[in-house]
Amino acid sequence: MAAAKKKEHFREMRAYARAYAEKEPSFADVMKLAAIAAESMEAFCASMDATTYRELRDIANYIETMKVEIGQFQVNDLKESRIPAAGEELDAIVKATEEATNTIMECAEALLAADCADLESYQALVNDKVMKIFEACSFQDITGQRVAKVIETLQMIESRVGRFAEAVNAKDVAGFLDEREAARARRKEELLLNGPQLKGQGIDQKYVDDMFGKK
Amino acid sequence: MAVDHTMPILVVDDYKTMIRIIRNLLKQIGFEDVDEAADGSEALGKMREKKYGLVISDWNMEPMTGYELLKEVRADEKLARTPFIMVTAESKTENVIAAKKAGVNNYIVKPFNAQTLKSKIDAVFGD
Repeated sequence: MAAAKKKEHFREMRAYARAYAEKEPSFADVMKLAAIAAESMEAFCASMDATTYRELRDIANYIETMKVEIGQFQVNDLKESRIPAAGEELDAIVKATEEATNTIMECAEALLAADCADLESYQALVNDKVMKIFEACSFQDITGQRVAKVIETLQMIESRVGRFAEAVNAKDVAGFLDEREAARARRKEELLLNGPQLKGQGIDQKYVDDMFGKK
Repeated sequence: MAVDHTMPILVVDDYKTMIRIIRNLLKQIGFEDVDEAADGSEALGKMREKKYGLVISDWNMEPMTGYELLKEVRADEKLARTPFIMVTAESKTENVIAAKKAGVNNYIVKPFNAQTLKSKIDAVFGD
């Protein structure tokens, strides 16, 4: 419809141009030509407005979706509560395992140093130290529960990051966040700081021994 | 060369618990003179003050790693011949290759036991 009207306007304007190529147009003719041109421009602007409106509406919808997605990311909850809490759990695990190890070693050292000349007192010492070792081993249960909490936080972050990445169609950009992160990565690479490997991924002592030619 | 059980040994690890474990294991296999350092630079300082018969070092420490310590030791004319055993959780082939290339005498993967420690010390001293 709009295209047909545009063609009609164009035809009328061309007819005017031909008709008044050789003679001066009257004021009424100029006004009529201007009216046709204005009507034609109006149709053009109307189509432009519709396209622009559609694009702006799409952008607004996208922004609205992003706001919802960012809100569901719960960045503040993660940053201020869950990640620090996970860090505290890990610290507690390190402390608990260290304490348990120290207790067990103290007991073992006391047993090794014990004088077994007096059998009765030696037996009492053994009983006492063995009980302490049993008690120290209870760290396993508590640390297991702490690890479960950390895993839960990691899974939560994983699902939210995954959902957000999908929503924004995220593409990875190579490089580092800052110089500190880059320096840490460089150090790891240069000094071969690979850390402990999971079972089946690293080499074992036998493999190392073969590299050193046995023993 | 027989193992001299009176030789001073320097154990380098940033975990006090690990030092304590190694110290106890060394005691069990007959070594009493054990000093400790928490990283490569502290170890290097101690090595320049006292002559050690053996260095047992972790790899991953800060600021100076065991790998850097090994290279420093081998580059130092006075320390270059000190026997050096790496005791580490770094269990990638590239780590062992790099340590060998840098001049390590033996390499123990954590976790380990007293028998492994003893056999590696014996191997270093040719027993």
